[in-house]
Amino acid sequence: MNAELKSTHGLAPLAAVPLVSTGDSSHDAWRTAARGRLIAGGLPTPRDDAWKYSSLNLIQRRDLSPCTDYSVPAQLLASLPERQGVTFVCINGQLIAELSSGALPAGVRYTPLNDLFDSPIGAMQARLRADDSADQRLKLLNAVCCTSGVAFDVSAHQTPVEPVHLVHIATHHGHYPRTLVTLQAGSRLNLIEYYLSMDDSNSVSVPVTDIQIEHGAALQHTTLGLAGANSVVYADVTAHVGPDASYVHRSLELGGLATRLDLKVHLDARGAEATLNGLLLADKTRQIDIRTSMEHRAPNTTSSQTYRGVANDRGRGSYDGKVVVHRGAAKSDSRQSSRNLLLGPKAEIDARPQLEINADDVKCSHGATTGSIDEEVLFYLLSRGIDHDTARALLIFAFTDDVIATLTDPALRHAVEKRVLASLPTAALIRDFVQ
Amino acid sequence: MTTNTQNTAILEIKGLSAEINGRAILKGLDLHVRSGEVHAIMGPNGAGKSTLSQVLAGRQSYAITAGSVLFRGEDLLSLPAEERARRGLFLGFQYPVEIPGVNNVYLLKAALNAKRKQAGLAEVDAFEFLGLVREKMQLMQMDESFLSRGVNEGFSGGEKKRNEILQMAVLEPVLAILDETDSGLDIDALKVVANGVNSLRRHDRAILLVTHYQRLLDYITPDYVHVLMDGKILKSGTATLAHELEARGYDWVREEAAHT
Repeated sequence: MNAELKSTHGLAPLAAVPLVSTGDSSHDAWRTAARGRLIAGGLPTPRDDAWKYSSLNLIQRRDLSPCTDYSVPAQLLASLPERQGVTFVCINGQLIAELSSGALPAGVRYTPLNDLFDSPIGAMQARLRADDSADQRLKLLNAVCCTSGVAFDVSAHQTPVEPVHLVHIATHHGHYPRTLVTLQAGSRLNLIEYYLSMDDSNSVSVPVTDIQIEHGAALQHTTLGLAGANSVVYADVTAHVGPDASYVHRSLELGGLATRLDLKVHLDARGAEATLNGLLLADKTRQIDIRTSMEHRAPNTTSSQTYRGVANDRGRGSYDGKVVVHRGAAKSDSRQSSRNLLLGPKAEIDARPQLEINADDVKCSHGATTGSIDEEVLFYLLSRGIDHDTARALLIFAFTDDVIATLTDPALRHAVEKRVLASLPTAALIRDFVQ
Repeated sequence: MTTNTQNTAILEIKGLSAEINGRAILKGLDLHVRSGEVHAIMGPNGAGKSTLSQVLAGRQSYAITAGSVLFRGEDLLSLPAEERARRGLFLGFQYPVEIPGVNNVYLLKAALNAKRKQAGLAEVDAFEFLGLVREKMQLMQMDESFLSRGVNEGFSGGEKKRNEILQMAVLEPVLAILDETDSGLDIDALKVVANGVNSLRRHDRAILLVTHYQRLLDYITPDYVHVLMDGKILKSGTATLAHELEARGYDWVREEAAHT
């Protein structure tokens, strides 16, 4: 990176931002040192393989200092889908109690991250830090800048039915939410997260989510990306899945100027299972990058990934999915499917499923396709009297159904369908079909 | 055989030639079909049977290089596929496509409404429509779960073909072209499909059965049988011609045509 760019890049203002004490002097010292290294080293460039598809040029000139404005953008809250269960609303990473509603289900404990900082965080330290690699640079940025966050802990064998909703609102500049989720043995949780910002917001969200799922526990985790037209989101999710435990992650990337999701799943013990589903909707000039890393570290582990991308106009997307079956992880079963639909000559989606197998007796499959609307299928609809525009809109919508159909919450599914419909120029034509 | 002189012309194909990617498939094909008639188009693989079906239904990937097609006196080839369907042309596909995410019933309703709109009729009442679909489903011995599934999603070969005939039954076309409707069917499914087609034979409707084997014609007796080879109709006859083809194959037709 040249000197001129470096002097203007968005990390420089961080030097002047007071770091909130975590109450743990060694962690404070680590943060101060990490901040120095971040500012000196800058953000990764497209030369770093991990950032080849999702360039950080978009944010080089944005002020990344943490925003401490906690005023409420009421319209955003009104745009949320109907919800059952408890809702936590955070503005610029800060939990706003008066906006939050509903009762926390029995067995689910919530701790503001500030309180975690107040107590000795020895055991937590590893979960709160990151290293200097290009892969983790944004996570490191979060580790340095996050001023608050939330931790959920579900007690052993508690299986609340109602979901927990976590709403992240960014207004401007840097937004560094930090979420820790721990499911103790045999417990269950349905966590639904929303990322929102206004269309005129220049926010850069760098959320980091750390998940531990213990023996026989099951987490359903859905993230709905609804950021405004000029916002950027770089999310990092790491999940450790224990014996006979399961993790389901669904990401619906429907907004923002640019979104990147780094999803790292560790199937750490026998019987661990993960299902990842995602929908990327890259219209206008939107850029959406999904990077998944699935580590089969133990025998009899199962993973399945289904990603669907639709790119229109100058939209760009990528799916970079890496599955590693480690030595000794016999009888691992892994499936990967990435299908992408290009609707314009300037739209682009790159799919890179990768498989690295270091064990015998495993079952792995992967497939990736990128293409335009299937003429044969289109003809079938035309031959039934459906006009061309309706048929096309219908097929685009149907294409997204592989992922949308996995949403079990009807209100959420409806909200996502509405959003997908709104992105189609001919939405009105097919409304009857999808009600 | 139906010989009512009152029958009106449904389809008049004259000298039809079509190609795909520069390769000529149809080479001057003539065919006349009147209302009330069932015609079988038979021929060996690669003769152009499916091309004929798709060209008539309006598939754009074929280029028409010569000839004309009148559908009830109207120039068919100038109409896009969806307009042909709305005017009463129906193609039962050899390989019906699966469209997960598009519900069977919604498609059927939209198809019927498109046709009704063309005829100046109001949209079908949702309740009546469901009643109609259930009645036709019974005819085709289709499972109730069909109602909630995506178009042909996860259907067996037989179910897909039954679904095609179900659509035909609901849409009540003036001309139904059934492309290899018998392929991939076991004998029970074949009987159900044939029974469905037979129940749809009417004085004001014509049916074009495109088939490779005579088997289907054991259950649906055609008024006329045509042999399509080398891109044109080489021989026409009655139902007995199908039996002759079954016994003797197709080569003799070409030899005979070469001598006339």
